[in-house]
Amino acid sequence: MSMKEQAKVVLCATLAIAWWSFAGTADAHHAFSTEFDASKPVTLRGTITTVEWINPHAFIHLDVKRDDGVVESWMIEAGSPNTLVRRGLTRDSIPPGTQVVVFGYRHRNGSNTANGRDVTLPDGRRLFITSPGTGAPAAPDSAQ
Amino acid sequence: MKSYLVVSIALPLALTGFLADAQTARTPWGAPDLQGTWSNATLTPLQRPAELKDKEFFTPEEAKAYVRQRLSAVSGDENIQTDKQSGNVGSYNDAWMDRGNDVVPTRRTSLIVDPKNGRVPPFTPDAQRQFERDQAHAKEHPADTPEDRYLTERCIVFGGGKAPMFPEPYNNNYYIVQTPDYVTIMAELNHEVRIIPIDGRPHFPSQVTQWVGDSRGHWEGDTLVVETTNQKTNRHFYGVQMLDSLMSDKFRVVEQFTRTAPDQIRYRATVYDPVFTAPWTVELFMHPQTGDLVEYACHEGNYGLKGLLSAVREDEKHAAEGKK
Amino acid sequence: MRFTLPLLVACALLALHARAQGAHETDVPRLSNGKPNFSGVWQALTTANWNLLTHGASAGPPEYGALLSTPPGYGIVDGDEIPYLPAAAEQQQRNYENRFKDDPELKCYMPGVPRANYMPYPLQIFHSDDRMLVAYQFAGAARIVNLGKPQPSAIDSWMGVSNAHWDGDTLVVEVIGFNGQAWLDRAGNHASSALRVVERYKLAGSDAIDYSATLEDPKTFSRPWTMHFRLVRNPDRRAHLMEFKCVPFTEQLLYGEFYKRTAK
Repeated sequence: MSMKEQAKVVLCATLAIAWWSFAGTADAHHAFSTEFDASKPVTLRGTITTVEWINPHAFIHLDVKRDDGVVESWMIEAGSPNTLVRRGLTRDSIPPGTQVVVFGYRHRNGSNTANGRDVTLPDGRRLFITSPGTGAPAAPDSAQ
Repeated sequence: MKSYLVVSIALPLALTGFLADAQTARTPWGAPDLQGTWSNATLTPLQRPAELKDKEFFTPEEAKAYVRQRLSAVSGDENIQTDKQSGNVGSYNDAWMDRGNDVVPTRRTSLIVDPKNGRVPPFTPDAQRQFERDQAHAKEHPADTPEDRYLTERCIVFGGGKAPMFPEPYNNNYYIVQTPDYVTIMAELNHEVRIIPIDGRPHFPSQVTQWVGDSRGHWEGDTLVVETTNQKTNRHFYGVQMLDSLMSDKFRVVEQFTRTAPDQIRYRATVYDPVFTAPWTVELFMHPQTGDLVEYACHEGNYGLKGLLSAVREDEKHAAEGKK
Repeated sequence: MRFTLPLLVACALLALHARAQGAHETDVPRLSNGKPNFSGVWQALTTANWNLLTHGASAGPPEYGALLSTPPGYGIVDGDEIPYLPAAAEQQQRNYENRFKDDPELKCYMPGVPRANYMPYPLQIFHSDDRMLVAYQFAGAARIVNLGKPQPSAIDSWMGVSNAHWDGDTLVVEVIGFNGQAWLDRAGNHASSALRVVERYKLAGSDAIDYSATLEDPKTFSRPWTMHFRLVRNPDRRAHLMEFKCVPFTEQLLYGEFYKRTAK
């Protein structure tokens, strides 16, 4: 490896470390770790009953059937719907009856609430598809 | 003689034409036109990472690499496994976020352009002591009441709704409308409206303080210069994303808005606050947002704050029971 | 000399035209595109925020004496009645009985349209050729009035999505996409998320706006109904909206049960 290439690798690594230490995946306005319990991960397989497309957090309401057959109601706290609206979402986009799998962490207040850390369809595809950010000129070759 | 006439008439005309293209757009009453729907989303951090030392600008290749790493580092979707291992709750899928796609067009390594090291100046010794007291208090009282929490969590004001205008991880959109006496900026987050009179009227008296401060503007050439005073002070003024800091009631910001291109407004803001040993200046660029602003009714749907307070009360209860 | 008569006629015509233009132009303030200019600070002269219909004075919570009592006032609704469907009429009654607890105004929630226009606080309109922003003092509510191509409402909102067009000198604004959670006044008058509002704004001279709103909601009302009132310009041209962020004033009310017990 040439000096130039070595320098690039070092710069890359430094930037990665610098950025990681600077700001991880922290949400803008809300210390989610204060609200949700890292020691209580949950994976919920359920049916959407309704979605509240509201701010500051959208809420996905789920009926989840437990192993013993009892159906529980869960609230999944998600993000601001505004970005999804700019990506084409409407109030009818995710109809009641949609089956989803939610991975998240349980609310510290003990209620049937979790953050929607990862929301997928039963076949594994993400429910909310990422696409390039709205409005900002994209860097060529930037990751998505 | 003929060619001299041609040159002396044609050349200035040509130049005028050229200048007209390069000249900023104008409102019907002749002011520079800042109107439009804009975004100030960017991947450039506020402060230059310490590891970059004196490096003021990225090369194009370095900028591309930085963008890739930055998007990867903040990606909730990419980091689910590492987050699980490190006990990081994270938030939600990337699709909800919109941090921007690129660094600032200048490829500067920080939004801060002054001081030259790209970092916020140190506090004065007194301010440093006060800051440490505040931090200690916050540790002891993370959520006794909403007043211990960030202004964003309380739905009072967000980064782009006041001066200096800082982006958040999403919804960094602004609607600017001008009349002969006002430049008014509506920020999407919290439906914030900053009314900036430009007719020379004085600031409100000092007993009137506002969460968006009190702004007065005037044109200097093609640049709108805005001074903001009467800012309500709060420990969490700078928010959680950008800067954990301190502010005094002498806080003042001077912003500059310049329409540098049909698709760009250059934004500069200098913070003057005697808690810092020097003023500091940021530079950001606004680019067109093709979508309309979407209503962000924050307080009306703020289950999150209730959830946060109830979570901390529950933790305290468990801790107390554990001690018995 | 043969030009004199045609010249005189031309001058007369020019003078008449100029006078007509002048009369037209000084009648109301206008934008450079000739449209009436609604920019300014305005406030409604009506007690509609207490009750849209004609009402006498009535008591508030007893501990606040006259401070939170309801003043009397004439109504602003054509026919002085709101044509509720039976279930909606019962809902209004329940709202009224619980108004000092359930009125979204109490919680500093955005007042929706048309209520934002007749609250007893100023609003400020910023109107340029292609854009209009209406900022309300109460709760810092705001709405963009789209003067261009009509935009759809993707998700429900408190202030709706406003699309406008000109009918001569009248600005007609259609507002859709409400979430059905705002009230229409403190008396518990209400509508659902099926509400559609058509507003009409017309300058009456340079210092007043004649405003009307027609409300249509097949889930709540048996027919559309209309209100009329006047917005008056603040004569102090150097006044603009001051910030009225009432959210912090409601925190104790909304979150008090979750405060730490030892805290103030």
